[in-house]
Amino acid sequence: MTVPLEVRDLWYGYPGGKGDVLKGVNLAVERGEVLAVVGLSGSGKSTLCYCLSGIVPHIYQGNLRGQTLIKGTPTTSMKIPEIATRLGIVFQEPDNQLFSPTVEDEVAFGPENLCLSREEIGERLELALKQVGMEGFRFGSPNQLSGGQKQLIALASVLSLDPEILIFDEAMSQIDEQGKAGIKSVIVGLKERDKTIVMIEHDFDNLDVADRVLLLRDGVLQPFEGRL
Amino acid sequence: MIEPYIELDDVSFAYERCAPVIGGLSLKLYKEQFTAITGPNGSGKTTLGKIMTGILRPQKGCVIICGRDSAGMKLGEIGQRIGYLFQNPGLQIFAPSVQEEISFALGLKGCSKEEIDSRVSRSLRDFDLTNLSDAFPFKLSRGEKQRLAIAAVLVNKPDFLILDEPTTGLDMERRRALSDILLGLKEKGIGMAVISHDRVFIDRLADRTIKMHGGEIVEDRT
Amino acid sequence: MKTGLKGLDPRSKLVLVLCLSTLGVFIQDIGILTAVLCVSIALSTASGSRLFVLIRKFRRILWLFVAIAVIQSIFAPSGRVLVSLGGIKLITAGGLYKGVAMVLRMSIVMVSATIMATSNSREIVQGLVQWKVPYEIAFMVSVAIRFLPLLTDEIKNVVTAVQLRGIELDRIPARQRVKVYSYLIMPVVSGAVIKSRELATTMETRAFRAYPKRTSYMVLTMQRIDYTVIITSLITSILTLILYIKC
Repeated sequence: MTVPLEVRDLWYGYPGGKGDVLKGVNLAVERGEVLAVVGLSGSGKSTLCYCLSGIVPHIYQGNLRGQTLIKGTPTTSMKIPEIATRLGIVFQEPDNQLFSPTVEDEVAFGPENLCLSREEIGERLELALKQVGMEGFRFGSPNQLSGGQKQLIALASVLSLDPEILIFDEAMSQIDEQGKAGIKSVIVGLKERDKTIVMIEHDFDNLDVADRVLLLRDGVLQPFEGRL
Repeated sequence: MIEPYIELDDVSFAYERCAPVIGGLSLKLYKEQFTAITGPNGSGKTTLGKIMTGILRPQKGCVIICGRDSAGMKLGEIGQRIGYLFQNPGLQIFAPSVQEEISFALGLKGCSKEEIDSRVSRSLRDFDLTNLSDAFPFKLSRGEKQRLAIAAVLVNKPDFLILDEPTTGLDMERRRALSDILLGLKEKGIGMAVISHDRVFIDRLADRTIKMHGGEIVEDRT
Repeated sequence: MKTGLKGLDPRSKLVLVLCLSTLGVFIQDIGILTAVLCVSIALSTASGSRLFVLIRKFRRILWLFVAIAVIQSIFAPSGRVLVSLGGIKLITAGGLYKGVAMVLRMSIVMVSATIMATSNSREIVQGLVQWKVPYEIAFMVSVAIRFLPLLTDEIKNVVTAVQLRGIELDRIPARQRVKVYSYLIMPVVSGAVIKSRELATTMETRAFRAYPKRTSYMVLTMQRIDYTVIITSLITSILTLILYIKC
C-alpha cells in the first residue's frame, strides 16, 4: 500500500544560494494521521510546506534535490492542477486566500477550474460547506466573517477539490480561541474520514489534535521532546 | 492621587453604516500599570486601542490624554505621548535601511547630526539591531520587523505604548524575547497597554487585565 | 430577486457605461453634456449605486475638478476676456466654457463607472467570460477590483502611522515632503506585492489555469430588460451623436 505522502532525502536551498535550509528531510505520513511539525521561525517550516505541496518547484524556484511523493508519484512529475486534486493547502493569512464576492463563488472556484459539470460543482460545494459547518454562510460575503470563519471557508475551498491530503501552514496563527477550536474540530472530523493531515504549528496549544509531532531543526526532522 | 495617563469618558463608537462597536465606555489607564486588554474577536478591543491613540475619533464622549482633550490634538502631537504598534509591523516601516527608519523622524524635526547618530546607535543596541543597521527592512523576519517598529516608535520618547496583538506570527522563543523587551521598558517607566488574546503572554506581563465582550468591559482585574 | 435596473446583467451595464462615456467624450456642447450627466446620475441611482454617499466621501476631490476647469481655461483661451493679469489672458469666456465641458465630461465617466460597480466582481468576470474574454484576463480585472478598496485602507493606515511618529505632513517643507511621500509608498507597495503573490499562489493551488477553459457554477442569462436596455442605449446614443454632428 503506497503511503499517501512521503518525502525522501529532501534538500532545498533558496535561489541566490546562501546554503540549504532543508538538509535531507525524510518523512512518511499515513492515511488518517495528523502530523504536526514545529520549529523556530526561519527553520524552514513553510519551505517544507511548499515542497510538500509542489509549490516548490512549480511556482517558486530554488535548489531542490530529493523527492516528495504523493501516493508514490513524485511532485516534480505532476503539474500543479493535478497535485491540487490530491493535496490541498491552507495558508496563514485568511485575507490573502479569499477573493470572491460570495462564499459560494469561493468554494466553487476550484471545481470550476477542473471543468466539472455544474451539477457536480453544486454537490461538491454543498459537501465542502457541510464538512466545515458553514452551510448557513453560503450566500454571504467572506469579508464579513471572523478570522476563524474565513479560514474555514479557505479550507472548504480546498476540500471542494476532494484532496486526500491537507496541509495547514500555520493556519491558526492569526485566529482567536474560538476560531481555533472550530478549525481543530474540523481537523478531527477530517481525520475520521481518513484524510492525511500535516500541520505546521507555532502554538503548542494546537498540538492536542496531532497524533505525532516532529521538530524541524538544522534542516532535518527530529522527534519532538517538548522544547524547541 | 495618581493621574490617569489616558482617560476615556463615556465613549461610543461605530464604524460607518455599522452597528456600534463600543457603547458608553469609561476607562482610566495609568502609566504605572501594565494593562492587558483581552477578549474574543469582535469584542472591540482593537477599536478601543485605536480610539485611545486618536486614530479613530469617537462619535460620543471624549478621550483625555495627559489631562488634555485629544480632540484638539493632532496625531503628531499624540504620537509624542503615545506610541502605537499596528498588528502588522510592515505597515509602519518606511525607510530603505534599518538605521534610516529610526533616524528619519529625527532628521525631519531638525535634530543635529551628532544627536541623531547617538540616539540611533543607542536604539540599535537596546533592540539588538546593531548588526542589521544597513539591512533592507522588508527582508527582515517578523520578529526583527517588530523590534524595528518598536525602536522607531520609541525614538519619539513617548511615555506610553499601545501594542495591538504583538505576538501574532511569533514563535514561543520570540514571544518570550518580546515580553523581556516590554518588561525592560516597563522598568524604565514607560506605561503600556497590550491588546492580545495570548493568555500566556499577558499573564507574565500584566498588572491589570481588562476583559472586553460585545463592546463593553466585563472584567477589570488588578 | 433584484428588480428593475438593479437586476441588470453586468453586460448590459457595460453597454450602458460605454454608451454614456462615448457620448461624454465626443460631445462638446455644455447643454447636451449636462443632459447626459443627468441621465447618468438617474441611471446610477436607479441601479442602486448609493451615488450621493460616494460623492460625500470624495468631496475633497471635487476641488480638483474646479482646479482642472480653471487650468483648462487658462491654457485654452478664446473669446471674450473676463479676467486678465498683467497682459496675460487668465480667464476667458471660451476657456471657461471648455473647462466646464471638461468637468462635465469627467463626471459623466465617473458616474457611469459607478453603474458598473453595482455588479459584484464574480458577476463581472462571468459577463466578460460569456462574451468570450479569456478568463485569465477577466479574473485579473476582478481581483484588481476586489483589492482596490483594501489598498486605500492600507494607504490610510500608513499615513496614520507616519503622523503618529510626529511627522505632520502639512508642516514639512516641500523638498522633504517628496522624500516622505516616497517613504509612504514602500509599505503600501511591499504589502501589495506580498498580497498579490500569495493570492496568485492560492489560486494556482486550486487548479487555476489547469485548462484553457473552465466551467462556471454561476450562469448569467439575459432577461428581456437587458435586451431592452442594450438596444435602447445603443439607439439613443447613436441618434444623439448623429443629431449632434449634423447640427
